[in-house]
This record gives sequence, C-alpha cells and structure tokens, in this order.
Amino acid sequence: MNNPIVRRELIGALRKPNVAALEVAWLAVLAAVIVLRWPAGGRVNLAGTQAQQVLSLLSWTILVGMMLVAPAFPAASVVAEKRTGTLALLLNSPLSPAAIYRGKLIGALGLPMILMLLTIPGMTACFAMGGVSLVHQVLPLYLIFILVALESAAVGLYVSIRANDVDSAIRLTYAVLFVLDLLLLIPYRLVANTQNPTFLLVGRWLASFSPLPAMLHVLGSNSVHAGNSVNGGDSVIIRFVICSLVLSGVLGLLSIQRLGQWLFDRPRASGKVTDDRSTQVRAYRRIMYLWFFDPQRRSGLIGPLSNPVMVKEFRTSRFGRSHWMMRLVGICLIVSLGLMLAAAYGSMNFQPQTLGELMVMFQVTLIVLITPSLSAGLISSELQNKSWQLLRVTPLSPASIVLGKLLSVCRTLLLLLFATLPGYAVMLVIDKGQADRVVTVLITLGLIALFCLLVSSAISSWFRKTAQATALSYALLLGLFGGTLVFWAGRGTLFSLSMVAGILQFNPLAAALATIHAPGFADYNFVLTNWWFMLTVMGVAAVVLVFRTWRLTRPD
Amino acid sequence: MSDAPVVETAELTKVYGDFTALDHLSIRLEKGQILGFIGPNGAGKTTTIKILVGLIRPTSGKASIGGVDCTADARKIKHLVGYMPDTFGSYDNMRVREYLDFFGAAFKIPRKQRQDRINASLAITGAAHMADLYVESLSHGMKQRVAIARTLLHDPPVLILDEPANGLDPAARVEMREILLNLAQRGKTLIVTSHILPELARICNMVAIMTHGKLRAFGTLDQIMQNVRHQRMIEIQLLSEDDVVQAAEILRDNLDQSATVTEAPSEMMVRFNTTGNEQSLAVALQRLVSAQVRVSQFREMQQDLEDAFLSVTQQEKAEIASGEAQA
Repeated sequence: MNNPIVRRELIGALRKPNVAALEVAWLAVLAAVIVLRWPAGGRVNLAGTQAQQVLSLLSWTILVGMMLVAPAFPAASVVAEKRTGTLALLLNSPLSPAAIYRGKLIGALGLPMILMLLTIPGMTACFAMGGVSLVHQVLPLYLIFILVALESAAVGLYVSIRANDVDSAIRLTYAVLFVLDLLLLIPYRLVANTQNPTFLLVGRWLASFSPLPAMLHVLGSNSVHAGNSVNGGDSVIIRFVICSLVLSGVLGLLSIQRLGQWLFDRPRASGKVTDDRSTQVRAYRRIMYLWFFDPQRRSGLIGPLSNPVMVKEFRTSRFGRSHWMMRLVGICLIVSLGLMLAAAYGSMNFQPQTLGELMVMFQVTLIVLITPSLSAGLISSELQNKSWQLLRVTPLSPASIVLGKLLSVCRTLLLLLFATLPGYAVMLVIDKGQADRVVTVLITLGLIALFCLLVSSAISSWFRKTAQATALSYALLLGLFGGTLVFWAGRGTLFSLSMVAGILQFNPLAAALATIHAPGFADYNFVLTNWWFMLTVMGVAAVVLVFRTWRLTRPD
Repeated sequence: MSDAPVVETAELTKVYGDFTALDHLSIRLEKGQILGFIGPNGAGKTTTIKILVGLIRPTSGKASIGGVDCTADARKIKHLVGYMPDTFGSYDNMRVREYLDFFGAAFKIPRKQRQDRINASLAITGAAHMADLYVESLSHGMKQRVAIARTLLHDPPVLILDEPANGLDPAARVEMREILLNLAQRGKTLIVTSHILPELARICNMVAIMTHGKLRAFGTLDQIMQNVRHQRMIEIQLLSEDDVVQAAEILRDNLDQSATVTEAPSEMMVRFNTTGNEQSLAVALQRLVSAQVRVSQFREMQQDLEDAFLSVTQQEKAEIASGEAQA
C-alpha cells in the first residue's frame, strides 16, 4: 500500500486509546452474546435450531455494531482536516483527489474490518455447532457487513467533505444512514398490501438500500416483507449489493469531484442586513419572510427578562434561528400529515392504531435523532471552541448557564412536537375513545424529549469534544430505543417473553407503542414503570449536569 | 497618578504536581500603567493571567485587583477585569453586534445602556464597521479588535490581553498599538503579553520578564534597560575591507579583557562588547586613527527590550550552567 494517507489514517486510528477500548468492549459484547444463547448442558439438536439462534443474535449484534461504528471515523475524517488546515496541505501535495479519497476510504474501512475479523471466532463457534451453511449464510452475512461498512464510509466521507464542522458532519452522517437503513423501509410497508406493481417495485428498491431485508432473508425471516409474495429469494441480497455499490460509487465520484482546491473557494459572508438595503429589497424581503423570519433581519438586544445564554444558543444554533426553525417545523407538519394520508391510502385494514404507531415511531425517531444533535454540544462545544473561558469570566451563574442552554433546546423540541400533533387529531376524529391513550402518549413523548435532552446534556458536560459527546449520546439513546427492540424482535424464539417484557419496560418507545396499542405491543402495560425509569434517569442526569457545570465554572 | 496599586500579587505560586508553573511572583501596578509581560513559552505568563482573572486558584500567595482578592472574590473580579485570552472563542452564526450584545447581557448591562456601550467599544477599537458582519467571517486582525471591544463592554478598570498583536500584519499592529495607548490614556491599567518585543517597548511603561515561572526582571522600561546596559556594544564602520583585520587587532590590544571583538569583512565593520567607560572608548578610537585605519563611523548600538530579554534569559542559562557545574 503506497498511499501515505492510508497508513496515517489507520495508524492514527489504531493508536487512539478509545479505539483499543472499543475493540475490547466489542470482544466482550460478542462473547456475552454467544454465552447468552449457547446451549445449556453442552448438547445441540441436530436440526441446528440452537445454532441458528446463536447465529441470528450474533449477526444482528455485528450489524448494529457496524452501523454504529463504521460511520464515525469517516464522518470526522475530512472535515477535521479542513478545520485544522491539513487538508489544504494534502490538496497542495502531488496526491490526486482520487488518491486522497482512496486513502481516506481505505483508512476508514480499516477499523470496521478489524472489528469484523474479531467476529470470526464467534462465527466459527456457530458453524461448529452444525446446521449453519457457510455458502448460504456465513459468507452472505459477511458480504452484507462489508457492504454496510463501505456504504457508511462512503456516506461519511461525502458528508465530511461538504460539512463545515465535525459535529454537524457526524450528525448528518448518522441521520442519512438512519434514513437509508430504517426510514426507507417505511414506503414498502405502506404499499405492501396494494396490488399496484409500480408502487411495489419502487418500494422494494427503496427498501433495498437498507441491509435489514437482506439480513432477514439470510437469517430465514421475512417479517419486514410480511405478506410479500414477490420478494424473490436471493434477489433481496442482489438488490442490496447493487444498491449499496451504486450508492457508494456515486458518492465516491461526487466526493472526488468536490475534493479540489476550489473546495476552499468560498467568499466570506458579507453580513448584509435587510434594514440597510434599498426600499424595494426591504419591502420584498419583509413580505417574503413575514418580517420576523428574515435571516438578514437586524436582531434586537437581549431583553431584561431573557436568559442571555438561551438567546445566544438560539442565535448560534442553526435550528435556533427562526427561519431554520420554521423550515424544520414545516417539514414535520408535512411529514405528519403525509404519514396520516399514506397510512389511510396504503392500508386496506386501516385502524387508528396503525396511524398511532406511525405517529409514535415518527415522533420518537425525530426526538431521538434531533435531541442529541442539539444538546450533546451544549457544554462540550463551548469547551472545544475555547469560548467556555469567556463564559467563566462573566458573572453568569452555573444555574443560569444550564437553564439557558436547556431552555434553548426545549423550545425547539416543543415546536417540533407540536408540529407533529395533527395526526393525533385525525386519530381522535376517527375514534374518540382513543383520547385517554393519546394523552398518555403525549405525556410519554414529552418525557422522552426531556429524557433525551437531559441525558445528552449530561454527557456533553463530560467531554471536551462535541463529536465524542454526540457519538456517545447517539449510541446510548439508539441502544436504548432501538437496541432493546432486538429482544422484542426475537420474542418467543430467541428470548423468553418474560425476559423481553423485563427489558422493554426500560424502552420509552416501547412504552409509547404499548400505550397506543400498536401491533405487537398491545399485550404490554408498563407505561408507569417506564415513566419512573425516565424520571429517575432524568433526575440523575440533571444532578450530573448541574454539578459538572458548577465544577467547570470554578477556578481550576 | 495615584500610588494605590490596582493590580498586586504577593509571592504568587502555582504548582502542578512536581512542576512549578509560577514561583513566588510579586508585582504591583498602578492606575494607567501598561505592563508588558514577556517571557518564553511556558514561562508562566498565562498562568499568572488566569489567576488574576479568577480562572485558576494559586497554590500559595495572593493576587488582588483594585483591592479585591482574585481567589476569594472571583465574582467581583469579573466586573473589574476585561480579559482577552489568546484564543478568540467565537460563536458561529452570530453577528458582531449580537456577540457583543450577549456578553453585555451576561455582564447585566441594562438594555438602554448596552447599545451605547457596544457602539462605544466598537468605536474605540475601530471596529464600528464590523457590527453587522458574522464573527466567523472576520479576519484575524478584525477578530482581535472585536475581542478587545468585548473586554471594554463592562468598562473594567483593568484589561488583561494575552497576545493581542499575535498574527497581525504590520499595519494592524500599529493600529493595535494606538488602541492600547488610547485605552491607557482613558485610565485603564493594562497587562499585555506579547512575543513582539519592539511593539511592547513602544507602549509599555512597566515590564516584567519571566522565565521558568520566576520573575527575572520587573520595573519601568528605563530600569530594565539600565540593568542590561552594563555591557555596551560598539560598531565601527571602516572605509575598506582591508582594514578590518588590523582594526580588530588594535581593539583587542587596547580594550579590557572581557571585551569581545568580532570582524565582519563583508560589511567592512568591526563590532565589540565592552564594560569600559567613555575614556577607554576614546583611547581605542585614538589608537585606530593613529594607526591610519580609515574609520568612517564609530557608534554605540542602541539596546532594546529584545536585548534586555535576551540578556536576562542568558543570565538565567549561565546560572543554571554554573549550578550544574558545581553539582
């Protein structure tokens, strides 16, 4: 390998102590997963059922691991160099943009490949139990893992090249992958019961960007494509291979095209203010932006009753600015109504619960995806930008700093939640008997928003780099909200029903779905337990956040 | 100028483990004085500054500003000091006016007065035209001006500026110098660190030289210069390169033992350091002339803050070397 970037990226990554810790943790998780489902008494049945169970659990663990780990390094890779100025040095070297991209891509794939190598002993154990096919299961599974890593690296690098700071690059990368891996499954689910072949075809190809259908096919389950007679066996894997390779290739070409000297060829923001422009322009902008939402409006001074930190956060955070906020709220409103329409149109057996399930999934997804991106940098970004010491030399108390920061995120979250409410109104019009459930769900959603906010903020106060705080926040929240659903997916087969119920009571999403009587969750009733769990964690997180902020404002 | 110290440290010490970052520092500044705080990297300048603004707690000793203890009354200190760290600490997506408004509100400046304060601070620092620009789009020099404007918002009596001239072009440096002198004229007491010593020499009336956490020299610029003037450097310009060797020999024969003579044939010049007085210099010149060495200029080189700094640091190195030799 003659590419110096590969060596630097790989060695640089492997030298990091947190990578060593990650490898150890990864091995521990793999070992725990195998031990969890290893047949008791040292006997396996000849049908290979137990081997399949271990293989299934192990494979899902590897896939989730790949999805979480693989995007992190490429997402930070280019933008970090852009910020430190070393990208300009690279572009000024004889290395071509293609060579730089190749080096970055191979470097980014290094760690996922090492993690994948560490899974071989576990896979070998499954294989040794018998009943597991090397050609039809083990090799296709590794193909899927490799493609997931490739797709994640390609998305991460492309976002990293376009982004201006590490945190937003990481957030956007995970958001894009979330859309690819999970949200693109929804259209297929909505059109699965229709007879329209075009809808089915489009839905199937969109779903093929996600590795989940291919995984389910290899592991012998087709629940995602329930009721689908045109799934087409191995074609699920082939479609996934085609989709991920095409996506990675296109993103690679776009990235190489963008990697050039003109990457830096941007004018500085001119700082235009509508108030200083001609009468016509002023009138036009005031009408177009309804005056208040004009991004070039000269903002007023901070009021005597306003928390200065809160106003500062609004002004510095992208979604805090009114015009961005309104765009986001508008999108939420459209998606909310769109989901309602799609559910009504796509399902022959339309029930209020179906709409409720979609609404809850949408809102919780929105909260879990947006909250860490808004709050995981509340303290850490100030430490990272060295602006914290400026805050420390002001007379602001730790309480007012914490309050201002939390309030700034609360407003955004509240507006987003309100924007997604019309769907519930439709539910109540269809069935007024759902009112109590809707109220309980709304309380749960409010608690979920506060829970995510406080957990991410508390994590933020422990890190000096926002990227790390964001990654950990996402890992914890996605692990809790999404990871525990893996147990639900394996209920009655891999895991006992009592074990699943015990684990799910900690999952706020499951509590909300159980409240709305979503399919598969109607039998559970642990909303109160879940509220207590969330309130306890929120209390601990609030104490941690206040203590850390107080400590950080004290003299060293 | 009143005699009451505005800034005072007494035996200020900061120890991290077995590393002493600051070793019994005692300084005293009065109103309107500008202290040039100089020293190599890691000398303890920033540690001192951070103790003064209440960001670090000293291990021992005392520091006060306007009679207020920097450790015990950290909240009061914040109103008395305007601190500009060596990093800007910018916020993205914020215009300069909004940036200053935030800090004004943080210092609880009433809204009615805040606008005037922002305008006045920007005017003093020559940054009024930047009010609507985005902070992240500013050049380094512009950011430095905005940072100083920020320190002025709450009208503190003491300004502590860490490397304000760092990275500025010559024109911006001259403007920065004028801003700082203007602030001193307004009665502010300034503590300024910089590695650009000629710049400091032009604005400071007090100088503190630090190395390895210790204060090596402290006083007015004149006092510091007198301390290093025990050796004079003389430069002799000759008319011909051929005279250089002969002139150097004559000087070696006629100057005191400690004098060091260096020849620069390409420049047609001879230089020497001496502790000798005016009489011995007159004798040396007379010998050159009588030996028919064609001298066109005989001048004493002016010593500046840079020489003072080098002299102090060399003195320290010599002390360390002799200590090691004795050991």
